Order: sequence, then C-alpha cells, then structure tokens
Amino acid sequence: MNDCPNADLRDQLPDLLHERLDVSVRAVVMAHVDACDDCRAELELLRGIHGMLVSRTPRVDINYVVNALPTRAARPIRVAPRRRIWSDWRIAAAVTVLAVGGGSFAVLRQGAIPAVDTARLSQPMIVPGTDSMSSGANRVAQNLDSVGGASGTARGLAPAPQSPLASADDQSGLATTAHLADLNERELQALLDQIDQLQAVPITEPEPVTIRVESKKSSPEGA
Amino acid sequence: MSNPVRGSDDQRDLDLIARWKAGDERAATELVERHSAALARFAVSSGERSDVDELVQDTFVRAFNSLDGFRGESSFRTWLFTIERRLLLDRRRTEKRRRDRTELQEGDSATEYDALDSVVADETQRRLQDAVGRLSPTQREVFALRVAEGLSYKEIAEAVGTTEGAARVHYHNAMRAVKEFLDE
Repeated sequence: MNDCPNADLRDQLPDLLHERLDVSVRAVVMAHVDACDDCRAELELLRGIHGMLVSRTPRVDINYVVNALPTRAARPIRVAPRRRIWSDWRIAAAVTVLAVGGGSFAVLRQGAIPAVDTARLSQPMIVPGTDSMSSGANRVAQNLDSVGGASGTARGLAPAPQSPLASADDQSGLATTAHLADLNERELQALLDQIDQLQAVPITEPEPVTIRVESKKSSPEGA
Repeated sequence: MSNPVRGSDDQRDLDLIARWKAGDERAATELVERHSAALARFAVSSGERSDVDELVQDTFVRAFNSLDGFRGESSFRTWLFTIERRLLLDRRRTEKRRRDRTELQEGDSATEYDALDSVVADETQRRLQDAVGRLSPTQREVFALRVAEGLSYKEIAEAVGTTEGAARVHYHNAMRAVKEFLDE
C-alpha cells in the first residue's frame, strides 16, 4: 500500500471519514479520492480501523456512571445580612464624638500659639533671673502674677528655656500662653506699655565712679 | 475545516454544564450519554482491556468534581479525553508496579492485544487490531483520536499534551507502520 504524494489531501481523509469538512473542501477531496487509488485504499483502511475500534468497544452502563456522579444542588441565593439599627446609632455617635473632640483640640492648639506671643518676642528681650533685672521688670512680673496667678507668666515673655531658673511649665509655654489669653484688651495694652518702659538690655559694665583726691600741700623742701 | 456541527455540539455541552450547575441532574445524564462511548473507545484503543466502565466512571466523576475549573477553552470532549488519559497513565503505573512486585514477565503491547483474539472473529479485523496494537503508546493514542474520534490535530495535541505538529507526525508515522504491517 503506497502513500499518495499529495500529503495535504491525504491528511484530510480522517476528516472526510467523520464528515468534518466544509462542503467545498469535501467536494475537492472526494474528487481526488475518486481519481487516486492510493487515497481510496487509505480511506478504506481508515474505515476498517474505525469499524474495528468501534466493534471492540464494550457498551458503557450509563446508570452505573451517573449514579457515581456528585450531586449539584442549586446554589442558594445569598441574602445580604440585615443591618442592625443600633449599629447605625453607634457609628453616628462615634463620628460625633470624634468631630467635637477633634474640633476642641484644634481650637486649643490654635489658642496655644497666639499672635501676641510672637509680637512680644520681637520686643526688647528681658532676661529673667539676672541680678541686673530692673525694678520695672519686677513690677511687670508682679502685675502678671496678680492677673495669671503664676510667677512664671512674666518669665514666659522671655525665651524661658534659656533660663536655668525656668520651671517645667515655663518651658512648655502652654501654661504661659493660656494665662495671657485670659487678659482682656486693656490689660494687654497696659502690659505692653510697661514692657516698653523696661530697660531691655541690662547694663553689664560698672557705672563710672568719681573719686575725688584732695591734694595735700607740703613743703618738705622747705622743712 | 471548521465544522458547524462540532460547534453546535460544543455549545450544547456548555448549555448542559450550565444546567447541571443550576441543579438539573438530568443534564449530567445527557452529558454522560453523549460522551461515554467515545471515552470507552479511547480507553480500548489505548490498550485498556478490563474495567472500561470503571475508567469511564472515574473520568466523569473527576470531571464533574472539577467542572468549576472548566473554562471552555477546549471542547468538553477533549477535556474528558485529557482526564481519561491521565487516569490511564496512573493505571499503567500501578499495573507496572504490581507486575514488578510479582515478577511476572508479560509480553509487549502486541501480545496484550492477542488476549482479545477470541472476541474478534473476522480475520481482517484481527489483522487491523494487531497492526494498531504494535504502535507505540503515544502513536496509538494519537491514531485512535484521529481515526476513531475524528479529532483535529489541535484537539489531539490538547488531549495528549503535545504540539499540533508533533501530533501530525505521530499520526503519519502510525499510518505508515500500520500499512507496513498489513503489507507483510
């Protein structure tokens, strides 16, 4: 049994056997098979092998197979869990608490850095705790003590951390600014006026001392 | 070489699968009826001599258990052939281990087919059976899928796990070997 030299057509013989060719292609292949002894013989061989394979195959018991298959129940429709009403209340309450608390904190933080502080820092510096602090500064400090109730308030006008005598509250700056925030407009203006009158930079040089030396007339030569 | 009948068959399979997923058990029965004979033919053509029903049953059970993973990229029948072929390979490995343990020396594949001689009455069919039985396992699988099932080389390549070109070469080598055997 020889092979047809037309390999493409020979390759389509199984498709012709199983009727898998389009009408136009099938007509071409059929025409070739009618004229080609080798292809006709090969097609007969394919029919014989196909028949042999089919006849040898035992019949399958369909019920035996189906009974072993897994059952597939229809998937239940998933119902979304009902949202509880009280959970909405809890969410709303949590949001309210966060909003009020956060807002209050933000307001306090804004009040902690008032513009008046920066304005006063631009004024002539007061160095507290020094011996040369003038009496005017002491008066201002006493005035603030009377208003704010804390001696550290006056020192807070100066850069407190630089002072070794400053307390922890002074260093935080929060207590000082909180007390200053309690002053009204008129008190603040009075405080500023007093600060302006301070001698900001203390005199570190000794004051000039006038020593009068009386000259004693003597006449040693004449003695 | 597109076949509208094959395309409608594939669509019918997809519809039945969708019905089974929706809970229609009759769709499973119809799917078994449509493909069980082809699976049995492939099993016998590949040299399986006994428990063909069990092999076909195992194939369907595995297929239905993993039907959610079937995306329809190949035809349902080709997918079934792939599963059945893996089961066949597992069986052969198990059988080989059993033979090695019992130290039984069995003959080659042609001898295995000789056991079925009593079933085949016709002399011509017996010759054809011997010719196919002498093919290598891969040649036999490709030849059976091409001749008995009419699959394309692309479908055969998917089922057997090879390339389309390799499937074509296997088929032509198998056909040449069958012819040579019959000409002896």
